[in-house]
Formats: sequence, structure tokens, C-alpha cells
Amino acid sequence: MTIKEKGYSHWDGEFIVKKFPWWPITRYGIKLTFMRKLFKFTLPMSLLPAVFFLTGIYISERLEDFPFLRGETSQFLQINPNYFKVYFTQGFMLFIMLMIVIFCGASLISDDLKHNSLQLYFSRPLKKKDYFLGKTAVIVFFLFIITLIPGLVFFIMKLVFSGSLKFFISYPWLPLSIIGYSFIVTGFFSFYALLLSSLSKNRRLVAILIFGIYMLSDIIYLIFRSEFRSHYFSLVSLRANLQQVGAHIFGQKTPYDIPWIFSFLVLLGICVFAGFVLKSKVKGVEVVK
Amino acid sequence: MSIEIKDIHFSYGKIKALEGVSLDLSQGAVGLLGPNGAGKSTLIRILLGFLSPDKGGGRVLGYDIKDEQPKIRRYVGYMPEDDCFIPGLDAVSFTSYLGELSGMPRQEAMKRAHEVLYYVGLEESRYRKLETYSSGMKQRLKLAQAIVHDPKLIFLDEPTTGLDPNGRREILELIMDISSKKDIQVLISSHILPDIELTCSYVVILNKGKLAAQGDISELKEIRDLYEMKVKGEAGGFLRRLKDMKCKVEETEEGIFKVYWPPDQDRQEIFRIAAEEKIQIRHFVKSETSLEDLFAEVVGVD
Repeated sequence: MTIKEKGYSHWDGEFIVKKFPWWPITRYGIKLTFMRKLFKFTLPMSLLPAVFFLTGIYISERLEDFPFLRGETSQFLQINPNYFKVYFTQGFMLFIMLMIVIFCGASLISDDLKHNSLQLYFSRPLKKKDYFLGKTAVIVFFLFIITLIPGLVFFIMKLVFSGSLKFFISYPWLPLSIIGYSFIVTGFFSFYALLLSSLSKNRRLVAILIFGIYMLSDIIYLIFRSEFRSHYFSLVSLRANLQQVGAHIFGQKTPYDIPWIFSFLVLLGICVFAGFVLKSKVKGVEVVK
Repeated sequence: MSIEIKDIHFSYGKIKALEGVSLDLSQGAVGLLGPNGAGKSTLIRILLGFLSPDKGGGRVLGYDIKDEQPKIRRYVGYMPEDDCFIPGLDAVSFTSYLGELSGMPRQEAMKRAHEVLYYVGLEESRYRKLETYSSGMKQRLKLAQAIVHDPKLIFLDEPTTGLDPNGRREILELIMDISSKKDIQVLISSHILPDIELTCSYVVILNKGKLAAQGDISELKEIRDLYEMKVKGEAGGFLRRLKDMKCKVEETEEGIFKVYWPPDQDRQEIFRIAAEEKIQIRHFVKSETSLEDLFAEVVGVD
């Protein structure tokens, strides 16, 4: 006798109080992102800079085996906090992060808005906080793959290749810088992507917005800088602000001649604004007053 | 009691959606009726905790609607009126995902998802992407996600919208089967009165945000006796006098008068008035009051 013929049957299991009720949202978000064909190509490509930098760390310890790399290149191969700063804050790396965010973040809320699925989430014992945490964790997961994890691997491999703790003794704060900046850059991109994702039901439009606003902010900065010759205009550029904060966290000279805290406040302000918008935009039910 | 609310008020800006609605509903299937804008969906959304009432309060399954919303939602299933799904997922993943979000363990949610998809008749297409589903299949899927966690109370918002006659009959059969379990209560909001009449024994009628009527359908139908009659002669004065006795009269296209007669009055009075107004009653029969008649009577629409 099939279930249909037997009639409705009760579930004899018991509900569990989950410590992380948002985890299923993250798991499915990651699964759906991996189902995109282009992303399967993009993610491995985004790891190429990490492979390149890791190779640099290896070569720096074996310079005698690579005599053709002596000279100017050996300057680059001096492994110090600047080496890490270059990896984390170079324009190309931030661009890769932007691409990853477009792939995994653009549809996170916009698809739920388009397909009316918010009411499905909020008719479950979920709080708004759980929903946001679940969605944010998807972006965090993918960005950590290219920030936090390679950063820590670089540090560990430097110690392994050198066969001593000298590097750690010289820069004991460096792991904290890696963790700190990874959290800042990931946190910023998460809020940025979720904010824009909540503004439209069209995932393609959101992707264009994520890319366009980032690039436009940089173009505006470059125009104003060439016109007025002031570094303060770097506060307009999302890229410049991330680079400014990154340089400070890795204990390096900041690229723009303004206090780094201004850039940090700009990024923080965007995150706070995003939080307010998300709170008002994401509801279990659309209420038109 | 499953649903116990008192003096609920809710406004969308200046528009009052609910005004002083109080309900006390226990087991079985309950129909929630009302014309567009009567406040049905608002009431369901308040019961689910999507909206917080401006005034009043209450309990659903013993939990406070203002302070214990997550607990309510764990034991309540909700089938929304709109099409809603998560693109990219198949039906099994979708249903088990929502089961997990309700608090079911992952393996159990997956097992139960297969069971409920069989139950609603989606066994053949459970691995198909949801984007490829027809409206009838989406309607079944919405029912499946509403029952995956075996709720004690299910809110169904227009469950037969967009279905062909066969699909509609099958969904109604499923609803009747679910509500026949004595420990599951079903609250169905629908515009389709025959659906409510078929599946529910109790009905709540809202009109302009207020509670217009509630009770057992059979008892409510007995509020008025319905008579159908054909008359010969100038009926204007006759009908006027019937209306003066607070009796509602409708004329059908076939020229039959439907007279809702208060049961506490003697029906001989109709013949007496007819005689006084000098008209002949050619056809007189006591008719069965339908839910449509009751709805028209209570809400004041034809």
C-alpha cells in the first residue's frame, strides 16, 4: 500500500534546537553557487594568485636554486608583512574578490524576492538574524577561500620552508593581521553585496550594480584626484578605502596621505547603512502602507 | 484551544484591516471567508507573527502571538497564496530544506520530504527542477512544504487557486484527509465557497475587517429558512412588505424569488401578505441554504 493510499501519516521524530539554525541556508547557498557552470571555472582561477604567492614564498627560501631570479625580483621575494599586504590589497586581488561576490552574492536575496520565498523562510522558526547570518556566511565561505585560508597557509608554509621560527618571532602579530583584514574585507563585501541584492528582484541587475558601483567609485576618485590633487578624494573609492585599511593593518605605509581611520569609517558607514536597509527590506510579508 | 485571539486591531497606515476580531477555534477544518480586502490574509499573517497587531493579542497552540512567534512557527504549517519556491532546487531538496529550517534533523527531513512528496502525488517529478513545474505541481509542492514537519496547525491560503478541476479535487481530498486526523487543525482561506463547504465544518466570515459571522456551517445555515417561489401579479408591494419584515429577497434570472425567512416567524405570513397584495403564489418550495447564500446574506453581496 503506497503512502498516498494509507493517508496522511505523522512524523514520529523530534525537533532539535539547532545551535546554528542558519546553517542550512548557508549549505544550500553554497550548493546553489557551485551549480553555476561559470563559477566552477572562476573559483579555481581566483586561487591562481595564491598559488603564485605561495610559489614566491618557496623560492624565497631556495634562491640559490634559482640564480636567474636574483636582482630586482629578489626584492619582491623578501617575505615580510609587505608581501602579505601586497597579496591582500592589490587591485587585481580585490577585483577577484568582487567577481566571487558577484557570483555568490548577487542572487542571495534578489532570488528570494523574485520568487516570493521570504515568506517560506519566515514561516519557519527563523529570526531575521538567522536569515542574514545564513546568507552572509555564503559570501564569507567563498571569500575566506581566497583570503583567510591562503593568508594563513602562506604564514605556515613560510615557517615550514624556512625550517625555523625566526619569521614568527619577527612578526608575531602577522597572523592577527591576516585574520583581521580577512574579516574586514569579507565583512564589507558581504554587506555590500547583500545590500544591493535586496534592492532588486533581478539578479543580473544586482550583479551589474555590484560591479558598476565598485568601478564607478574608483573612476570618480581618479577624476577628482587629477582635478584637485587631493588624497581625500580616495575616500570615495571603495578599492582605495580597502587598500588604505589593509596597509595599516599589515603595519605598512598607507598608499594615500590621509588617516586610515577615515577609510575605515567609510567602510563601516556603508556596512551600517546596509544593515538598516536590509532590516527594512527583508520581511516575511510585503506590507504596502 | 488552537487559536484564541481577542480584540485584534491592525491598520495599514490609515486603512483599517482588522477591527476588534476575536476568535476561539479548536479542532477540525475551519474555513476563513470574506470578500477581497476583508482581512483574511492579514489575520493569517498576524497568527503567523509576520505582522504584529496594533491592539489586542492572543495565543496560537498555547503560544503568545506577540512574544513566542518562533515557537508558533515550529508547530504551524503555512501554504502561501502566491507562487513561491527556491530556484535551482528540485522538489526533494526544497522540501527537506524547509523541513530542516523547521528544526528537523537533516536525515529525517530528507526521509520525510520523500514521504510527503509521495503523499501529494509528486513522486514521479520529485527530482525535477522547480522552475519546470506547472502551476498545479507548484500548488502541491506548497502543500508538501507546509506539512513536511508534521505541524499541528496548517494555514492554507487559497489552496486551489490556479488548479484545473481534477487538480482541485485532488488537493481538496488531501486537505480532507489531513484534517480528518483529529490532532491537526486546518485553517483554509478561500474565495471558492464550495471548497470550504466541502472541506470545513466550521466557518469564520470576515467583512471589512470585522467578524461578520462564525460557527458550524450547518448551524449558520439555519439562521434563516430559504424559500423559493414564483408569483403572478404585480409583486412590488408584496416584496416591499417582506423586506419590511427584515426578510431578504433576491430575484433570480429565471424570475424565481429567493426569500430568506427568519425561522422564528410563521411562514403562513407569506401567504397572508400575498393574499392581501392580491398576487398568486404559483410555486413555493423550501430550499437548502448553501454556503454561498449564507455568505451573501452575511456579507451583503449577491
